[in-house]
Parts: sequence; structure tokens; C-alpha cells
Amino acid sequence: MSNTPRVLVAMSGGVDSSVAAALLVRDGWDVVGVTMKLFADGHDLPDRPCCSLDSTSDARRVAEKLGVPHYVLNMVDHFSRDVITDFVAEYARGRTPIPCVRCNTFTKFSDLVAKADGIDAEFIATGHYARVVNGELHRGADDNKDQTYFLWGIDRAVLPRLLLPVGTMTKPETRALARELGLPRVADKPESQEICFVPDGDYVKILRRELPADAPALSRGHIVTLDGTVVGAHDGFAQFTIGQRKGLPGGFAEPVFVVALRPETREVVIGPREALLGSGVTAREVNWLVADAPRVGAAVQVRVRHRAPLVEARITRLDGGEIELALDAPISAIAPGQSLVLYDGTRVLGGGFIEASRPAIARA
Amino acid sequence: MDSPIYLDHAASTPVRPDVFEAMRPYFSERFGNASSTHRWGRETRTAVDEARERVAACLGAHPDEICFTSGGTEGDNLAILGAWRANRTHTRSGVACSAIEHKAVLGSVHECAHEGADERLLAVDHTGTLDLHAARAQIGADTAVVSVMWVSNEIGTIQPVRALAEHCHEHGVLFHTDAVQAFGKIEIDTRTLPVDLLTVSGHKFGAPKGAGATFIRRGLTLEPLFYGGSQDRGRRPGSENVPFAVGLATAMELTLAEHTRESARLRALRDRLEAAIVAALPDTVVHGHGAERAPHILNLSVPGTDSESMQMALDLAGIACSGGSACQSGSVTPSHVILALGVPHELAAAAIRMSVGVLTTDAHIDRVSTVFPMLARKARELASA
Repeated sequence: MSNTPRVLVAMSGGVDSSVAAALLVRDGWDVVGVTMKLFADGHDLPDRPCCSLDSTSDARRVAEKLGVPHYVLNMVDHFSRDVITDFVAEYARGRTPIPCVRCNTFTKFSDLVAKADGIDAEFIATGHYARVVNGELHRGADDNKDQTYFLWGIDRAVLPRLLLPVGTMTKPETRALARELGLPRVADKPESQEICFVPDGDYVKILRRELPADAPALSRGHIVTLDGTVVGAHDGFAQFTIGQRKGLPGGFAEPVFVVALRPETREVVIGPREALLGSGVTAREVNWLVADAPRVGAAVQVRVRHRAPLVEARITRLDGGEIELALDAPISAIAPGQSLVLYDGTRVLGGGFIEASRPAIARA
Repeated sequence: MDSPIYLDHAASTPVRPDVFEAMRPYFSERFGNASSTHRWGRETRTAVDEARERVAACLGAHPDEICFTSGGTEGDNLAILGAWRANRTHTRSGVACSAIEHKAVLGSVHECAHEGADERLLAVDHTGTLDLHAARAQIGADTAVVSVMWVSNEIGTIQPVRALAEHCHEHGVLFHTDAVQAFGKIEIDTRTLPVDLLTVSGHKFGAPKGAGATFIRRGLTLEPLFYGGSQDRGRRPGSENVPFAVGLATAMELTLAEHTRESARLRALRDRLEAAIVAALPDTVVHGHGAERAPHILNLSVPGTDSESMQMALDLAGIACSGGSACQSGSVTPSHVILALGVPHELAAAAIRMSVGVLTTDAHIDRVSTVFPMLARKARELASA
């Protein structure tokens, strides 16, 4: 046995995790690569940017090129149980789920750590754009690519064992490094923006597959204005998201948006732009990534949507796994089910799943 | 790290140096098409004919009973689909195989069902041996084709092929056996064994991947898988793969020449490994235990471990084995074979197959006997933590 520290690298076959692995090899780590097979390759999922058979073989070829062992981990059952089931249930409840958080929280990181323990690997690594500094999670150096919005849910105990080699770089730097490190095959691979198991961004197809045909979320209902006037009909509230404009009836003096979903009455509520503004937000299943978790009254910055600007806020209530914040400036289209992530500068304090927002303007 | 140990001979074996040498001229100076009339063609035609005779001799068959194929999957498909398509009748629509067949057989039988066959799965007992009594009841005058493997590729159990073939024979049912893991481990003589079809695959005994043959008893008509020229009596159109035919014949002869000695050697190695692991981890479940087994395969589950993690840990420790049959994506799911024995899902998901062969030495067994229990104990501690 050698004394070189061993690191288990999650390799998707994409440029970020390939470069992460290559950097660790260059720096002398004993690298072991794994690709997580998260869902069965079906005929309706042709080539996805991640998890497909092609991506797995890309990852294997990168590992082979780097001269490191590579394994495929079958996590289909876990992923289906922890991620897809929840994804469908959330839409059925009129919310907008964020499956990547659940995947990172329940599937990727916890299973990776378990596998790492099994092969005496003290560290795990991924290709995420984020940094670990002194056992705390920080935003990635590339503001455009920062992925901490998806990472707040992981177990804090994982952080001291987590390496994020591309977190200090920008995406163009990563691509350039891929070429420099002899990985031209993956250097120019297109970005994966969509949810990995949703083909063509058409999540409704997944819902139709997973939910019964007469599910309320996919059944006809009313489109109503804030004062309760019925102005149209829809084919299922699960096809709507807070802030959406598309697919709404016209003929209003000003643009209208989806401002709320009411699953119990199957109503999609529409209103003007101002009605989207929230001055407060509550979240549940809060997870802290720091030892000194903030208390009521603390000033923090928050993000309620991937890539949205940070907004100053104050914690107004903390109750077990629940948190409530008052926002210094109102935020538009706060969607229940999405992440609320709390920051102190670049430091990620923690986060939760958005439960509700407090409208900035009192509704009728 | 010590040099790595290959314990996956049931997956594939290295090409024997003598086989490689015998094939070499047919990649270069003797490149002719065996169907050509000129000297280049004559010389390769002779080579193919000789190879066919040699393969036939190794199986106790006539040369015209040997069809060269690309290996086990093609052979299984040709035998099952070919026999079904050419011999099905309104009253004979049953196609049966055991529950522990290789995917090549299961897939072929399933395809027969798509084409109207009445698909029947023959059960095995908890040791992984065909339940002959039940099988006999499922096979009769309404059955067209039966395919049962001779040796299980996953657990090594030997199936009652002779008794089953005799039963099929009595009822006018065509019988195929996938002998891919049996050749070289069990004596095969088609003169005394009433099988109609039998498939072997070269890379399991020192020929290259892609070299195989299927025995097709005289008088039997098969629908070919491919259409084209008249090569191999129209059963397998396409220019003959001369070097592979030569390689297969050479490997089969070499394998038979050492059969008795090598089988005894492998059995001793396998039994020693099994005894060492069971002694170190007494709750180990050896799949196929209590059944008659081929000498080279050991398949076991250590409760509280999982095959995926164990394979990773073993590979990183320099020990190559498998979690069942190797599959395309390299991912691992519990084997249908182990599940067919009635083994609980969790224990099936822990199954590890180790197969000894030409590369295996006493020193290898010594090392694996120490390392395997150590890794299994560790995996178990982590799982229970």
C-alpha cells in the first residue's frame, strides 16, 4: 500500500469533472474515478449530457487516459426513490422542485462517501463550481457558474473530505485546461443545463408517466385573477410555475404572470408583475453548513433562484428546521420548492426548501 | 502493489501463444478468400476444411455438423431461433430454457415468443441445478425446442443435460445446450450424447473473442440468421473467418490435450480458495454448494457486503473478479441467476464470482485467501456502522 492519499472522484464524462480528475492526478493524488448511473437508459432518453451510456464511456476513456481505475456505480434505485419520486410529488403539490439538490444531498454525496470509506479513500471530489475553505463551503470563483445553490443540503461532515478542484476557475479556464491536460474530447462538450432525467426540458412528460391519468395536477382547472374572477382554463396546474407568462389568456391591460398555484382547487392564479414581489420568505428542511449557524436577527444574503443576484435579508424566525426571513428589497417570483440559500459573503451558511413567500403588496 | 491477479477466466481467457502462431499466417500471406478458385483461395479453403475436421473431432462430430460462428451469442441465437423457425408447427409451439441461462439464450427464447412461441422457463432448485422432474412435465409433444446450458457461467453448476436430452429425444423435441463453460471442463462426445445442437465459444479456452462453433446434428434443418452466399452450407453465409477457424481448432485441441490434468489442478485451486474464505467467514454462502460443479467457478456472497463495493475494493487491491456475468455498461445489478436460486435480494446483490484458469497459481490463491476475507470484513464493518 502506498502512502499517497486516495480520492474518489465522481466523473460524469463532462469537462468539469474530467478536469477535476486530471488536476488531482497531476497533483499526485491516488485517484479512483466513478460514474454514477442514476437512471435506466430508456428509449425516451436518447443521449443526455450526463448519466447516459455515452457519458459513462467518456468518463471511462478519460480515466483510462489518466491511467486511473474507473467504476460505474449503480444508483438507479436510490435516485428513483430519493429524487424522481420527490420531483413528481412536488409538482403534484403545485410546487417547483429542484431535483439536483436532493440528488446531491441524498444520492451523490452520501453514497460517494460510503463508497470512499469502502476503498480507504479519505477524500471525495466532484467537478462542481464551489470551493471548500477551512472546512466551509464557499461560492465558486466564477460567478456565472457558481453551483452552491445546489449544494447547501449536503452533510456538513462531508466538507472536510471534499475537494472541488475546478471551483477556483472560470468555465473558460476549465475548458482551456482540458485541452492543455490532453482531454480534447471533453473540452468542448456542451454544457448540461437541463435536469438530467428530463428529456428536452419536457418535465410534464415525466409527470404523465409517473402520475395517474386522473391526477389533479394534470387535470383541467380554472385560471383566476387575484380577486377570484375566472378568466380561462388550463390542462393541469403542474404545467405552471410562479412567474410564468407563457400559456396564459390575453386581453389584459398590463402583462400578467402566474402568481400562485392552488392545488386544492386546481386554480392557477394570475396577476400583474407587482403581485410577484415577495418581501419575505420561509423555508423548511433547513441545513447548516457552518458551526456558527446564524440566529434570529442576523443579517445575511440570500438567493432564491439559481444565478439570481444576492439580496440582503434578516432572519426573523428560526424554528427547528424552519426559517423565515425579511428581505431588504423585494424579490420577484419566489417559487415554493426551490432552494433558499443563505450566504455571508462567499461563505455558504446553509439553506432550505422554499415553503412560501410573503407578498410585498397585500393581495385582495 | 503486487502484480494483479486475474480471477475472471469465465469471462475471458488470453489467446494461447500456440493459437496465436497458428493464426498468424492467415492474417498476412495466407489471406485468400476461401471461396476463390485460385491458389490463394485453395490454401485457405483447405485451412477452413481442416479446422472444421479438427473441431468436429474434438466434439465427436462429423465435419459437416460443425458451423463456425462468432461465438456464444451467435451460436445460441442460431441454434434456438434457427431450430424454432425451421421446425415450429401448429402443435409444437413450446420453446423452453432454464431460468439460469445466459442472456444470449434468454434473449433468443424471448424472441421466439415474439414470433408466437409458448415460452417456458424451467426452474432450478436452491443449488442451481435444473429440477428435472418439473422440466420433464413441461416438455412434451407440444414442445419444439429446449435449450439448457451444460455448465452455469455464473455459479458453475453442471446441469443434467444427458437426462434432459434423452427426454427431449423421446418426445421429438429439439435440444440445444450452451456448452460455452463446459468445453474443456467436461467431456463432450456428441456420438453418445443425444443433443441436436451444441454451442462453444473460443475465448473461454484460449482462442480469440469472436471465434465459436455450433454443432448441428446431421439431418437437422435450421433457418439461418443471415442470408447471402452458400458458405457453411448456407447456414452461415459470409466469407469464412479463416484465422479464427484455425485458432478455434487449435485451442480446442490444446484444451482437450490438457483437460484431465488441468481440471484437477483448477478444482484443487478453487476448492482451496473456497475453503479458505468459508473458514475465515463462516457465514459465507457459496452459490451452487451441494450441487455438482465445474472445476473453475466459485460464486459466493458474504452477508452484509455488496458486490459493487467489493468488486471495487478487490480491483484496487489487484484482484480481478466479477459480480455475476459482465454486462455492457459495467454496472452491477443482482444477477437473475442468483435470484433464481431463491437467494434473498440483499444476499444476491453481494454475489462475487471468481473463476480460476490458465493464469491462476498457488500463490494467487494464497493471496486472495487472505485479502478477500480482510476486504469483506471491512466492508461488513462499514455497512453496519
